[in-house]
Amino acid sequence: MSENGQNGTSTIEIEGRTLAFEAGETVLEVAQRNGIEIPTLCHDPRLDPAGACRTCLVEIDGWRRLAPACATKANAGMKIASENARIDRHRRSLLALYMTDHPSDRETSERGAPDQLLDMVEQYDAPSDWGWLETLRSDRPDDANPYIHFNPDTCIVCARCTRYCDEVEGVSAITLAGRGSQTTISTVDRLGLLDTTCEMCGGCIDVCPTGAMGEKTPLMRGDKPERELTKVRSTCNFCGVGCQLDLNVDPDGNDGKGRVVKVTSPPTGTTTNDGNLCVKGRFAYDFINHEERLTTPLIRNAAGEFEAASWDEALRVAAQGLMGVRDRHGADALAFVSSSRCTMEENYLVQKLSRAVFRTNNVHQCAAT
Amino acid sequence: MTNSIGEIRDADFLFVIGSNTSEAHPIIAMEMKRAVRDGATMVVADPRAIWMTTIADKHLQIAPGSDVWLLNAMAHVIIEEGLVDETFIAEQTENFDAVRESVAKYTPEEAEKITGVPADDIRWTARKYATTKKAGIYYTLGITEHSHGTDNVYALANLVLMTGHLGKPSAGMNPLRGQNNVQGANDAGASPIFYPGYQRVDDPAAQAKYEAAWGVELSPEPGMNLNEMMKVVGKQLFGLFVMGEDIVLSEPNCMELEKALNKNEFLVLQDAFLNETARFANVVFPAGVFAEKEGVFTNSERRVQRVRKAVEPPGLARADWEILVDLANACGADWTYASAAEVYDELARHAPNFVGISHERIDTQVVDGPTGLQWPCPTPDHPGTKFLHEAGVLRGKGLFQPVEYRPSMELPDEDYGLLLSTGRTLYHYNCATQTRREPGLATKQPEAFVEIHPRDAKKRGVRDGDLVELSTRRGSVHARAIVSRQVRPGCIWTPLHFAEARANVLTNDAGDPVTGTAEYKVCAAEVKVVEATTDGATRFPGSYYGVGGPGPDGAQPVDAGARAE
Repeated sequence: MSENGQNGTSTIEIEGRTLAFEAGETVLEVAQRNGIEIPTLCHDPRLDPAGACRTCLVEIDGWRRLAPACATKANAGMKIASENARIDRHRRSLLALYMTDHPSDRETSERGAPDQLLDMVEQYDAPSDWGWLETLRSDRPDDANPYIHFNPDTCIVCARCTRYCDEVEGVSAITLAGRGSQTTISTVDRLGLLDTTCEMCGGCIDVCPTGAMGEKTPLMRGDKPERELTKVRSTCNFCGVGCQLDLNVDPDGNDGKGRVVKVTSPPTGTTTNDGNLCVKGRFAYDFINHEERLTTPLIRNAAGEFEAASWDEALRVAAQGLMGVRDRHGADALAFVSSSRCTMEENYLVQKLSRAVFRTNNVHQCAAT
Repeated sequence: MTNSIGEIRDADFLFVIGSNTSEAHPIIAMEMKRAVRDGATMVVADPRAIWMTTIADKHLQIAPGSDVWLLNAMAHVIIEEGLVDETFIAEQTENFDAVRESVAKYTPEEAEKITGVPADDIRWTARKYATTKKAGIYYTLGITEHSHGTDNVYALANLVLMTGHLGKPSAGMNPLRGQNNVQGANDAGASPIFYPGYQRVDDPAAQAKYEAAWGVELSPEPGMNLNEMMKVVGKQLFGLFVMGEDIVLSEPNCMELEKALNKNEFLVLQDAFLNETARFANVVFPAGVFAEKEGVFTNSERRVQRVRKAVEPPGLARADWEILVDLANACGADWTYASAAEVYDELARHAPNFVGISHERIDTQVVDGPTGLQWPCPTPDHPGTKFLHEAGVLRGKGLFQPVEYRPSMELPDEDYGLLLSTGRTLYHYNCATQTRREPGLATKQPEAFVEIHPRDAKKRGVRDGDLVELSTRRGSVHARAIVSRQVRPGCIWTPLHFAEARANVLTNDAGDPVTGTAEYKVCAAEVKVVEATTDGATRFPGSYYGVGGPGPDGAQPVDAGARAE
C-alpha cells in the first residue's frame, strides 16, 4: 500500500492528535489504528465502505455536514472531531430512531448473539422513548434451510450480511429487497436459502451487529444466549486451512462436562481465516455430542462380538495382541496407521510407539492418500 | 505452501490447478475471490467446471491425467518466447538445460491433442504466468492423486523455478493441504522414512540422535508407506494399530483390503466412532475429538496453531495422546508425559525447525495478528517464517527435474468406457464420520451422486435423477445421476463421502512410485440405470449451481424448478 508514495509526510488531525496516513486510508481506519474510538454498526474491514448506518459521523473543519468516517478518505491537512456536542446530539438521535422499531430489552433481542445496537444505546445514553413503530420488514417463514434464521424485528438494514454475501463469499444469495421502511433482507423470488446459490457459510450471521441473522439450531434448542457462554479458541478440525474458531461452551451442559452449543469466528484481522468460516467449520459441530460416540473401550469376545471393557483390560489385551504378532512374525509384521486428523503430539507418540517400543518404521498416515 | 494464505489476496496472477478450492478449501477460496475482485487474473485448470471457473479469466478444461502435457507445454512456451528469469536460473538453480531439452517436443499444438486445452489458451496462460511478478501456483489432490503425481509436482516446480516466482511474497508453489493436520502429522514423523522434522531414518546421524534421545536401538530400514502397507495386509503384515482413520473407507480398491483384513491377526482401533474398520478390530479404544483435548495442528502454510480443550469427552473416552501413553506403557515402555505440551517439547527438542515454538509461546506471545507460528522457527525469539526460500533456495540450488508424460494406469476401454475421478464436496468431509452426523448438511447433500455429461448419459439412457450402478473392474456402487455439463464428455465424477456408496470400492490402488499416493483421480468405469427417476430430475444439486441450461446437445442438465418445491 505504501508504495503510493509521498505519504510519509501526509497527516490528518483527529481530536487534536496529528496522525500519519497512507494513501487510500479512510478516516475510520486511521482512527482505529491509533486507538481512537469511533462507533460503527455497518462497517467491516472485509467490505467496501457503505456509510449506511451513520453512527460513525465525524465533524471535519470546513465541511458543512457531518461525514461518515468509514467512507471518507483521509486527505492531507484534514482537522477532524470525533467527539463533540454536535456529533453526540446527532448520534443519540440516530440511535433513538433505530430504537423506534427495535426491541429494547435484551431478553427479546438477544436470544443469540450480543446486540451491539443496545450496547451503543447504553454507552451513549440515547433515548429509547421516541415511540414505537411496528416493523414492516418481512421475513421468509418457510425457509427450510437448517442453519440460518432471519429475525426482521432486530434487523437495522445495515446490509453487512448482503455485502458479505456479495463481496467476500461471492455467491450473492441474499439481497436487500423492498423500499423505504419495508426494506428487508431477502432472496431472489423469496426462495428458501437451500434453493439459492447460498453455500451456508454463515458469514451473514457472523457480521450481523444485532443478531438479526442468527444460528437456527441454538435458537430453536433454547440454548443460553452467547453472552453467557464460555468461548474457547481452537483450530478447526476439518480441512488444512487451519481456521481459528471459538467453541462456545455451555459449562453446565452434559451434566457439567460442558457442551459445545455453537461455533463463532474470531474477529476479522486477527487470524489466518480473517473472521471467516465455512459451512463445516461453523455448523458441523454436533458430532461432538453425538449419541453414537464411543464411550467405553471394547473387546471382541470369543463369539466375535464387542463387549464393553475397562481401560486396564482393554490396554492389556491390545498390548498382548500387538506383542504377540511381533513375537510370532517379527516387528515388521506390525504397522501403525497414524492420523492427520489428530494432533502433532499424538502423531509424534504413534511414531515413537512404532519405532522405540516395537522397533519398526512401518508408520504412516493418510497424508499420502 | 511456500507462501502464506494471507498473501493470496495480494497476488496478481493465480494459477489454480487440480484444486476445487471453493469446496475443499472454502476459506482459501475467499482469499482468491478477494484477489480476483481486486483485479488479479485467475486461470483454473480442472477437468470439471467448478465454482472457481465461474470467476476465472480462463478455464483450462484439461483431460484427467494429462497435466504433464499441459505443464510441459507451458514451460515450452516460456522458454521459446524468452520469458524465463535468466538471473534466477543462473544464480539459484541447476539442471535447467535438461528441462529445456525435454520440453522441446511438448508444443502447445501437440498438447492440445492430449489435454483438450486449446493451444492458444496454453500460450496465453504461460505468458501471463511468466510475466506477472506476483504469480502463485495453487494445487491440491488433482495434481498428486495420480500414478504420476510426483511428476506433476516436478512439472509445476519447473515452472516456478524457470520464472523465478520463488522466495517472494504472493508467489511460490502452494499445495493446499487436505486435512487439518496433514502437515503436522508429517512434521511429527508419522512417516516410514522420516523422524520428526524430516530427518531420514536411514541417516546414521539421525538414527544415533534418536537412539540417544529415546534410549533404545532403532531400525535404519525405511518402513512401508500406507499404500504399500495396505497391499500386504495378511501377507506380510499381521498386526495393525489404526488411529483416527477409517482405512476400509479411505483406501483405494477397498474390497481387496477387506479380504486381506480377514487374514490379519490383530487390529487395535482408536477412534471417536465405531467406523467401518471396526468390523475387523479386536480392541477398540474410545478417543476424544478435537474439542476435548490439548495439542497443536499445523496448517497448509506451516502455521502451528493450538487445539484447546473446551469440554470433557463422553463416558470413559480419553484424548488420543493419553491413550497412546498408556498403550506404550502396557507394552513395556516407561513414558511419563504429564501434558500434551510436554510431548510437544520433546518433539521440538530434536527437530530444529520447531524448537522456537511451544504451547506456552503460542498461548502467551502472539496476541495480535494471525495466531500461531510458522515453521521454520529455530529459536524462541524467532518470528516464524512467512514464506520460504527468501534468502535463496533452501536446498542450495533449486533442482530442475525433467519429466516425461506417462498415461494413467487404467484408461477407459471397450468394457469400461468412462473415466472416473473422485473428490470432495463442500458439504461433507472425507469419510464423513463427522459431517454425516450433522443433520443440517444432509439437507444440502443427502446421498451419493455421479456427475455425467449429457452426451454420455444419452448414450446410456441415463436421465437426470436416475439411480445408477457405477462400476469398475474392482466393484460397483449405486449413486444418483446428475446429468451435467460440469464434467467433460467421457468423464464422470463422484464424491468419496458416502459409506453406502463407497467410492473406494471403485478406485485403482495403483500408487505413485515415489509417494505411494493412489490414483484416486483416474480409472475406467461404466454407468447403467438401476432405477429410473419418477420425478424427472435430481432433487438435490451436485456440487454447485453454476452450470445449467440447455447446451449444444439440447439436454437440460439440472432442472432448478424441481428443487424449489
